[in-house]
Amino acid sequence: MKYRIPGRILERAIMAWVTVAVGFAPEIGAQERFRRTPPLAEPRQELKLAPIERLELANGLTIATAFRPQSPIITLQLIIKAGEADSPPERPGVADITARMIGRGTRVLSDGQIENMIEAIGADYSANALMDYTVFRFHVFEEHLDRALLVMRIMLLEAVFTERALAAVKRLAFYEHLDRAKDPEELGWRHLLRVLFEGHPYRVATYNEDVIRDIGSRDVAAFYNRFYAPDNAVFLVSGNVNSESIKRKVSEHFRQWGRRDVRRPQVPAPSPNDRERVCFIENPNAQDATVFVGNVAMDSQHPDFFPFLVLNQALGGTTRGRLFMNLRESKAYAYYAFSEAEFFRSSGVFWARARVTPEHIYPAVQEIFREKRSLSSDKAVASEIEEAKAYLIGNLPLRFETFEGFSEWTARIAALELGPDHWDRSLESIMLVNLEKVQAAGQRYFSPTPVVVVVGRREWILDHLRDFRVVEIYDPSGVLKQTLIKGEER
Amino acid sequence: MSVIRDPKKRMKTAILLPVAVSLFLAQAPTALGQEGWSFPIHEYRLKNGLRVILSEDASFPLVTVVVAYGAGTVREREGQEGLAYLMENMMFQGSDNIAPLQHVSYIQKVGGELNATTTFDKALFYQTVPSNQLALALWLESDRMKSTVITQAAVDRQRNTLLEEHLGRLERDPYLESFSIFDMLLYPDFLYGHPLIGIGEEMKRLRAADVSAFRRAYYVPNNAVLCIVGNIQIPRTKELVAQYFESIPQGPQVPAIPLPRFEQQGEVTIFLPDIPVPTPGFHLGYRFYPLQTGDAYSLRVLEYILMKGKTSRLRSRLFERDRTAHHLSGGLEERGGARALKIFCLSTNAVLADRAQRAIMSEIERLRKNPVSEDDLTKAKRLFKMDYMRRLATGRERALVLVETAVSGRPLESLPDELDRHLRVSPTTLTTLVIRYFIPRNKVVLRLGPR
Repeated sequence: MKYRIPGRILERAIMAWVTVAVGFAPEIGAQERFRRTPPLAEPRQELKLAPIERLELANGLTIATAFRPQSPIITLQLIIKAGEADSPPERPGVADITARMIGRGTRVLSDGQIENMIEAIGADYSANALMDYTVFRFHVFEEHLDRALLVMRIMLLEAVFTERALAAVKRLAFYEHLDRAKDPEELGWRHLLRVLFEGHPYRVATYNEDVIRDIGSRDVAAFYNRFYAPDNAVFLVSGNVNSESIKRKVSEHFRQWGRRDVRRPQVPAPSPNDRERVCFIENPNAQDATVFVGNVAMDSQHPDFFPFLVLNQALGGTTRGRLFMNLRESKAYAYYAFSEAEFFRSSGVFWARARVTPEHIYPAVQEIFREKRSLSSDKAVASEIEEAKAYLIGNLPLRFETFEGFSEWTARIAALELGPDHWDRSLESIMLVNLEKVQAAGQRYFSPTPVVVVVGRREWILDHLRDFRVVEIYDPSGVLKQTLIKGEER
Repeated sequence: MSVIRDPKKRMKTAILLPVAVSLFLAQAPTALGQEGWSFPIHEYRLKNGLRVILSEDASFPLVTVVVAYGAGTVREREGQEGLAYLMENMMFQGSDNIAPLQHVSYIQKVGGELNATTTFDKALFYQTVPSNQLALALWLESDRMKSTVITQAAVDRQRNTLLEEHLGRLERDPYLESFSIFDMLLYPDFLYGHPLIGIGEEMKRLRAADVSAFRRAYYVPNNAVLCIVGNIQIPRTKELVAQYFESIPQGPQVPAIPLPRFEQQGEVTIFLPDIPVPTPGFHLGYRFYPLQTGDAYSLRVLEYILMKGKTSRLRSRLFERDRTAHHLSGGLEERGGARALKIFCLSTNAVLADRAQRAIMSEIERLRKNPVSEDDLTKAKRLFKMDYMRRLATGRERALVLVETAVSGRPLESLPDELDRHLRVSPTTLTTLVIRYFIPRNKVVLRLGPR
């Protein structure tokens, strides 16, 4: 679950923002008094979420239900507790390819027949391998619930991995990766993770498209046999559902699934970066420089989690955050500047992300550093912390209202085994955050020196990166090409 | 790798599964009569002509406020291309009591989300906020309805930003320009076919006076719909609506949108070999106007049979059977009373592109000559129903459905029956539809790339 700015809002905010309100001189003539100031809010209405109910079958499969009001559509999610980070170090990408292979045939059904079965019930299906887990998701109508469960059982439990299907899946995955690599933000973010997770098991998740061709059907089968087991899975059903009936139906289909006693290694928390590192990724088509400044943070069960969410929100969660106001509005260095975070099983990662004009790369990075220092010192003010809390509290129901948001949130809770603090008590947890807790979190996580990643054109290096002491130059696939040191000939 | 290890069980599974596949399609006909729109609708007008639509739903503590003005591109005259889009963006540049961009700030402060868009017939402004902030959203929307500030400096600044963005999009997407050209061919009536911005030359000539005149003519309460959906109490909401909107003066009478005039005798095929695109392809479309009662529902189902889902006729033909295309997109769109089915297809070379075009035409011929099977029809209806019901899942989407229905002139009372009308479409009506509308004088093809 990334805490990121939704694209459409971002677009609107940027399209609509003007640098300076030159010439704005409202004429307040004879008008009703109530128009002059914003109205006071009425008492806040509570977001009421029914608790997530869980049941474990004899084979170890956990069945969970999450009630969602007034919905004729039921979401079925089979969550395998193994994701991109669980791919063997010598076979990065195998978790993603395995997820894509589900539904590509069984011993008796072709991929076309399976697709036909899915669409015949009007279902919507997706498979997604994330860092720590993989989600197979169906949206179906209640009247087709039994059939959807049958299809899921067949797809997942009867999967076969033929060379022909694998070749087609790999081809598609290769071109999707290649396409994504054209995006400077994707390049920058992937490289940030690559640097932050050096020597850590999560590093395996930061692969590029070249490794896909090395994956064979034996690799896929081995991953499947190791992790796709009931005692390493959660079957999560959400909607306007009767939990007892759902549990019975899921149990009918999946109780025969053989237990494997999956042993998944613990993942240690990575150490934060604390030395100056500036990485430059070449992207010959870039119009502006894309800058990431990030480091490692806590996992989402840590007591600092909610204070840190508020801190990061104040730093750059919206166009009202410090980064946007400073880098765009005040200094005009950036087209946009935000801060975001993502939390995994063993740790979290946070980063500032900005698109800046090439000549302002260095000062923009310095301003990001300055704002982070300021927020973790006594220069943070209570009103901005309260505003950040108000945003997070007000925005939470918007996330839950959509099928996608509700499904992603509940899947994360089930996969990472998060407690009620992340579900029906999350609003309370945010409300309990205060200025002192935010500053303490800031001192802990903003103090170590973050990694800087810049994506842009090679010709900018001489002119616009000369003020950095050391710059590591990488090609788009992440291979170090050169290290430049200030004062030495470039 | 199967996890079922008992060979007897495997054999049983092998026998049962093909049977199961056919049963999937044969059993459980799509239910009729009890589904679809099930939300209350409360509708009225203020004295100044503002149409108000309220719909209560307490599922989440949220409220969506949408204001739609009948001020889309159809209101632009020749030489004014881009004016509607520019005016939409000027609505964020401040009003009497709200500074530029403060609208965005106020909404974000309370955790809300907002956006706006301009279409053929309307400009839409919408925000979703915690339900206790309803008055805030109404205050913001009423202030800009009453008093948007339009200065030459702000117009220049906004226009430059929009043009810069537009040129950036054109640079990044080599096919983008062809979509505008195709629309002009498919709707050979300036009012219906001209693009949102075009190449921007007309937009560069627009002055603040043009924007102000457009605002005075169309951004008026008697040409607007206010829709509020979410966790609201009707009496209190009506009080707030009256407080914020009733004193806004009525504008001049707004003329009805002229009916389209499409003068095309036979099929139109245009070849644009000089547009520098990475791979060859084509736009192919059919225009439907005027439509008979009920044809719109049949067209939507036909769209699903042809294009929606991996097993739809065109996708399975082009991607799986023939392997002649690597990209297929498009669908049905509505512009006033006219509709069009638009298909955009890309292939790796010119020979395959030609084959893909012929394959699409042969699938349309198949629809003309052979009735659609019950299985195909059932599948299309179920996929449509899933999309339809997913759209109704959030208050924002429901509010947009209400507004689209209202602006298009369809009665809101038709919404509870809308899904059922789609689900009642029969194979016979589809065949009749194809014979009636899929004819040369409704067809346009725009071919791209080297041949």
